[in-house]
Amino acid sequence: MHPSLSFDQAPPISVPYRFFLAAPWFGVMAGILLAWSGPDAFASRWTPEALALTHLIALGFMLQAMSGALFQFIPVAVGGNVWRPKLVANVVQPLLLLATLLLVAGLLFSQPTLLSAAVPLFLLAVGGFVIVVALALWQTPATGMTLWAMRMAIGGLAVTVLLGSLLAESLAHGLSVPIIELTNIHMAWGLGGWGLMLLAGVSYHVVPMFQLTRPFPLWFTRGFGPLLLLLLLAWSGQYFLDDLRWPLVAGFPLLLILAAYGGMTLWLQYTRRRKIHDATSMYFRVAMLSLLAFAVSGAAFFLDPVIGADPRSVVWLGVLAFAGVFVSAITGMMYKITPFLNWLHLQRLGAPMSAVPNMKKMIPADAMTGQLRLHVLAVLLLLIAVWEPGVVRLAGVSFAASCAWLGWNLVGAIRRYQGFRDQIRASVLHH
Amino acid sequence: MTTVIDGRELQPPEPMERTLEALDGLADGEDLLLLLYCQPHPLFNILRNNGYVWTEELLPDGTREIRIRKAPG
Repeated sequence: MHPSLSFDQAPPISVPYRFFLAAPWFGVMAGILLAWSGPDAFASRWTPEALALTHLIALGFMLQAMSGALFQFIPVAVGGNVWRPKLVANVVQPLLLLATLLLVAGLLFSQPTLLSAAVPLFLLAVGGFVIVVALALWQTPATGMTLWAMRMAIGGLAVTVLLGSLLAESLAHGLSVPIIELTNIHMAWGLGGWGLMLLAGVSYHVVPMFQLTRPFPLWFTRGFGPLLLLLLLAWSGQYFLDDLRWPLVAGFPLLLILAAYGGMTLWLQYTRRRKIHDATSMYFRVAMLSLLAFAVSGAAFFLDPVIGADPRSVVWLGVLAFAGVFVSAITGMMYKITPFLNWLHLQRLGAPMSAVPNMKKMIPADAMTGQLRLHVLAVLLLLIAVWEPGVVRLAGVSFAASCAWLGWNLVGAIRRYQGFRDQIRASVLHH
Repeated sequence: MTTVIDGRELQPPEPMERTLEALDGLADGEDLLLLLYCQPHPLFNILRNNGYVWTEELLPDGTREIRIRKAPG
């Protein structure tokens, strides 16, 4: 590379990495909590343990990793500039970490004061983050459906956190609100409007780029995001319409488009000309198969009221969504983003290209595929544990171990970055 | 003369590496044609900061044709 080429103003590498480094350890906490709680944790989604586990993954793992990725993804994929990323990350991340721990402790030990303390911290942290990200996403001159999906996703995050805050305050102060309907809507916006919308938007960009597939068809990317948004609004109608059939009417089409996204991504992987079987491709396959399983099980629970009425059916869906879809897809993404960022930032040091190590040297392939196998085993054990409570502790330990291995792999990548950086700096000085 | 880099079946960062290498040898008036399935914003920033101009065309199959040359003058 030409040493005089100047690189873009991407945020310092420490901005995304501080979020990536934190995320896996919340997964470890969730696994340990599950192993410690034992067989009753999965009895229903309303047990204190299940609520705490859900938020350890949703806020600790997913929101941390997704926020860190957004800081990096906005300049790289849609050419937007996040305002003072280091300052925003310095403020947002500690607030988010503290708020997550308070909320989880509040849910686990049924402590109203902790729940109330978490709410303003979330509103401040996520509010600030949403404003900064929304400004970047609306000011960029870029176009395309990845950008629109990201814009809708950041709106989905705002709705999720507002509803979550209302729910936490109602639990803390015993406010009379329709808890079940509000929880269903909060969950749909968190998993669908924020999580899946962002995953889909990002995958329009990264699946062809990193997994060497054909691009997502234009009709699909134009239709998926707006349709998902529309169906989430319809799903939210259950709050206003006192009709028991409504969740069914809005729920089926919602499951259908989830399946369409999962099926389309798998089809693109299946029909690519150059087959690569790296950890990211495999992780995406696990995530999309879990999404299809979620859609099929959801439809079965709607159609068979006897199984649908079992409180464990929602726990089953939760395991598929959180551990099967999101932890898998996010881990796969981090295994690609981290080596790529290492490479990109090492390039910026001004060394000749030959001096910058190949991306494949940043995390050993064996370490990633080994961790992937353990993760798949953990997801399978978690799914069995929903119906066989005797397996709960083993499932918890496996999930904790798999997340710890992920954390260790990411620490290794960052240490390698530091090592290569010091070598390049020394050689630049030497010449 | 036009140099063509087909990055559609290459894993990042190979398309960017090849493009930056090719830019080193690009003479005035010559074109570099890069074929990708995505918009390479990090590359655009490098081009913008280093005196290159480019045009971009989206083909029906989703391929982006990015034609790069040195900025005049």
